[in-house]
Amino acid sequence: MIDLMGFWLISLPGFAVPFALAAIGLILCERAGVLNLGAEGFMLMGALAGVGLTLNGTGAPVALMGGALAGVALSFVFALLAVGMRVNHVIAGLSMVFLAQALTSYIATSQRWTNNAFEGLRPVLYGQDAMVFLTPVLVLAVTWLLFHTRFGLALRAVGENPAAADAAGIDVTTMRFAAVLLGGALVGLAGAYLTVAVTQVWVDNVVGGRGWIAIALVIFARWYPWRALAGAVLFGGIEALIPRISAAGFDVPRYLMQATPYLATLGVMIWTAWRRPTSSAQPAALGRHHVREARG
Amino acid sequence: MKALKGVMPTLAASTIMLGLAPAAQAELAAVGNPRPAVILYGPTNDGGWSQSIDEARQLLEETLGTRIAQAAEIPETATAIRPAAELFIERGANIIIGSAFGYSDTFAELAAEFPQIMFFNPAGTTNAQNLQSVYGRTYETHYLCGMVAGGLTESGRIGFVAANPFGLVNWTVNAYLLGARQINPDVELSVVFTGSWGDPVRERAATQALIEQGADVIGQHVDTPTPQIVAAEAGIFATGHHRDLSEFSAATQCSSVWTWDLYLGSAIEAVSAGTFEPAPYGAFLSIADGAVDVACCGPAVPDDLAARVMEAREAIIGGMHVFAGPLYDRDGTLRVAEGAVLDDGALWGMDWFVAGVTGQ
Repeated sequence: MIDLMGFWLISLPGFAVPFALAAIGLILCERAGVLNLGAEGFMLMGALAGVGLTLNGTGAPVALMGGALAGVALSFVFALLAVGMRVNHVIAGLSMVFLAQALTSYIATSQRWTNNAFEGLRPVLYGQDAMVFLTPVLVLAVTWLLFHTRFGLALRAVGENPAAADAAGIDVTTMRFAAVLLGGALVGLAGAYLTVAVTQVWVDNVVGGRGWIAIALVIFARWYPWRALAGAVLFGGIEALIPRISAAGFDVPRYLMQATPYLATLGVMIWTAWRRPTSSAQPAALGRHHVREARG
Repeated sequence: MKALKGVMPTLAASTIMLGLAPAAQAELAAVGNPRPAVILYGPTNDGGWSQSIDEARQLLEETLGTRIAQAAEIPETATAIRPAAELFIERGANIIIGSAFGYSDTFAELAAEFPQIMFFNPAGTTNAQNLQSVYGRTYETHYLCGMVAGGLTESGRIGFVAANPFGLVNWTVNAYLLGARQINPDVELSVVFTGSWGDPVRERAATQALIEQGADVIGQHVDTPTPQIVAAEAGIFATGHHRDLSEFSAATQCSSVWTWDLYLGSAIEAVSAGTFEPAPYGAFLSIADGAVDVACCGPAVPDDLAARVMEAREAIIGGMHVFAGPLYDRDGTLRVAEGAVLDDGALWGMDWFVAGVTGQ
């Protein structure tokens, strides 16, 4: 039993890190008022870049950075659509997922990267890799950026009331572009971590729906980075626990356990809806376009 | 309106007669001139299921002496399957070979619409005069790879990473342990279901969890080679599924492999000769029928163990049934009586595990 707990705790961070990175990336983006449902796609791009670079011998750190850049590249397309051309955020985000699924599958197949195992990021301390220690630092950095800098104030103003922010001299379009790209880098990094550190192999759709869980996590965290980290530990903890309980021969309702993160998210949504509006941090202009001439 | 009411049933009746009567006696266009085309669910280099069918396609090209067109990554929706199948038929293909459970309904519709075209669907569930669903008796091959696992384990505990708990997965788990116990009667098996056919994150976690619990040989019934890769990292052995996975990992000592070229080759020959008779409930193929076999054995397997595995393979080809009674499940219920064997219906519905299997 003690062994089981120990193995569970050692394996937990590897599951929590991708959720945490993706969630804080989405929070950055959504705090500026851009609803981002494309996380699964950004993660896939990051994951593929990580695999491609590692297989070509760049080493894990460069592969992770490449993953972040791949996230930026796809989020640039997303920002062009959602911010620049004012396409509906939901449609722009979903189209990014389908685009990334097809594109990554095509590239991986034509480059013959599928199923090629490689040696990725190695543990440095207590069986954990460097990203595990870097993730809380990144959460701290995003918190600081959002709540303790002028840039963060402007970013949140754009997400809460773009018309007022515009009147105050903030360039809404530039601000939203910046938020989408910065967020995309973190979501791409989350995807790269998934392949470079966790799976150490590419198969099509390797992200396996974790981008959607990150979106649930953002709602669970009510758009606060620290709560997202706590939620990532909870969600990752459950994912790490299920196979261990199963392997140890305990008879547990597996499907109920797999549903726990979603039940928790539902619970938080119901709870905040009930306590409205004081505790909700949902950006007031989330998913809304800003057109200077239009009143609303 | 009144007139219409009278016409409608007549119209419907005549449509049914027109539609059905020729279908029953339609001459297959492939008689004397078979022109197959393949529709793949996954990419041609997925390392597993889809690649095994594509490799059969390439082998059939040689034996038939004709190019066989292929469309890969066709998802399990009618809107994707139909255009692919119709395009192939338009271009002159007269045998359409699918590759997915999710093609079943669309293939049944297509088979009714194109009575002159022959359809095969590995992993499918629908059948007709010109549609044959096919699957392999993978419990036979997993029994053999289980023997290898039973011979290689030192801890007496083997692990198994599986996708979802239902008949055709459960029978591989059970057969694996039954095979292992032929070599080492004290072996125990832990199974972890990942709930997904191809999620390397969960497969890695499952394999690691099994190794932590003392498993030193890992079997698998999932679509990616991740369990083999993790086993190699841990310095233990593993056995594969779909294809010979030693291509991806040094840990692999035995694999349950598809040999679709053997079945499809003889089936296409029969179609061409006009003698093909579809099995009404699907073709459920044994090693002897040539759709499934083992790639055995890897360098870690001692010669005498390899010889015993090959002996058992011959016995299975000779008619030995893996699920022969008396057989009890882990709750102590008698599932197969002394002298009886499990029938096919009970195999497809297998929702129990033999004694010695832990995990759900």
